Amino acid sequence: MMSDYDAIVVGAGNAGSAAAITMASKGLSVLLIDRSDPPGTKNLSGGVLWGNDLAKILPKWQSEAPLERFIQDKKIGFLTEKSSIIIDFKTKIFEENKVGHTVLRSKFDPWLAKKAKEAGATVIPGITVESLVKKDGKVIGVEESGDVVTSNVVILAEGINPRLAIEAGLRPPLQDWEVSVGVKEIIKLSPQKIEDRFNLSSTSGLASEYIMGNLGELNAGAFFYTNKDSISLGIVAPMERLRENGVIHTYDIIEQFKEHPSIAPLIDGGTVAEYGAHMIPEGGLEMVPQLFGDGYMIVGDSAGFGFSNGLVLQGMNYAFLSGILAGEAAVEAKSRNDFSSSSLSAYKRKLDNSYVLKDLRTFKDIRKVTNNKSMYTTYPKMLESILLEMLWERGQPKKKVREILGSCAADLNVGKLKTATDFYYMYRRM
Amino acid sequence: MDIKERLGKTKYDIDKSYAHITVDDRICEKCPHHFCVMACPAQCYTLQDGKLNFQYEDCVECGTCSIACDQGSVKWNFPKAGKGVIYKYG
Repeated sequence: MMSDYDAIVVGAGNAGSAAAITMASKGLSVLLIDRSDPPGTKNLSGGVLWGNDLAKILPKWQSEAPLERFIQDKKIGFLTEKSSIIIDFKTKIFEENKVGHTVLRSKFDPWLAKKAKEAGATVIPGITVESLVKKDGKVIGVEESGDVVTSNVVILAEGINPRLAIEAGLRPPLQDWEVSVGVKEIIKLSPQKIEDRFNLSSTSGLASEYIMGNLGELNAGAFFYTNKDSISLGIVAPMERLRENGVIHTYDIIEQFKEHPSIAPLIDGGTVAEYGAHMIPEGGLEMVPQLFGDGYMIVGDSAGFGFSNGLVLQGMNYAFLSGILAGEAAVEAKSRNDFSSSSLSAYKRKLDNSYVLKDLRTFKDIRKVTNNKSMYTTYPKMLESILLEMLWERGQPKKKVREILGSCAADLNVGKLKTATDFYYMYRRM
Repeated sequence: MDIKERLGKTKYDIDKSYAHITVDDRICEKCPHHFCVMACPAQCYTLQDGKLNFQYEDCVECGTCSIACDQGSVKWNFPKAGKGVIYKYG
């Protein structure tokens, strides 16, 4: 029996649309279905897009895509109750390359879906696929309200809530350790204020990421990005830690971040324009499911493709690349007219040879670092104490760094051995 | 800023005829932790006099409660036909 399409892609996010563009531009008949209308307007990210992979399918993305500001200034640091300790990395190299940009997904994703349409894909928004259709163990299509559409291959780009994959038994339900909860707000601020306040030009931007050392053992991080005329800010907290320390609402954590003495002045005069939330895959290699089978492939967040080490949080680049590689595998499968598991295994081989699975393998133990409570409790405070001793004149005799470290460790009740092993493991795993 | 006020800034097309998430009151009654109340970023789960109340209208479809609930009470689906949250910024 002839299928209706060569490929059906479920989900018009970065992974799904990248897969659709890759396949449609090689002549495959592609149906891209998204549950929102316009497509992509249920999607939400912190907001920094690294576009190296996007350039492979859309070489002119930097001039055509609805981008906000290119990242010129990258800050990483620690917040304690009263202090912030920041490394400010501002470089001409970012300005010369302009690969990292802030984006607003409700503008960016509809554009990307439009590019899929221009490449020849049929794009249907506002339809929630209810189930996968299987025959003799092979995925052969999708179903909604009794309507069945068939294809040789279904690419599952459902995002972090992979309902179809779970219901079809293609992956187990998500567990605490696999996800973090991200909560985000858009704060409107005039371009003039943004540029003056953060020392930016009309096109350059700032991306800051923080370890929140003021929230006990929640192991929460926070981000702060500049858009053209707004700020994207939010918090990220691991589900495991939230459950263990469950005495604070996730919607209050973001308020605490906004009220921090070093953050509040940055959004002064701004107004909240949108509130949203999204989960983030943080389980690393262990959460990656079987990525392909007879008639299907899994890409992007649904596959658990993301990278986090507490200070760096990336997912959109992994989405683009996994979508492109799945698209390529489908194109090759079409040329063989073979969409069996063994034919689609080319997708996995491509991932193995790309930074997607290489990164997940290299950093397979990173959760032991991001799970280390001392990273969020003891060490930010220790750093603060050291800086106070060194940089604050209090009319008292000065101490050598060694003594400062010793007294800080004693104050915070941490052993030298614990500290030494923590840093050794961070060094080994980061 | 109160969470209800913040949620008021977000755009929705609420499906009045279909609740995409449902909870089983009998299970919630016996729940030892009600972690959903802390975890849900949209305050869809609240406790009143020890009893769990749920509303889906403010849901931003993040899926957090589907994992937070380990008692088997939350039945979680996507809204139908483009209904639910519609981000203007995302």
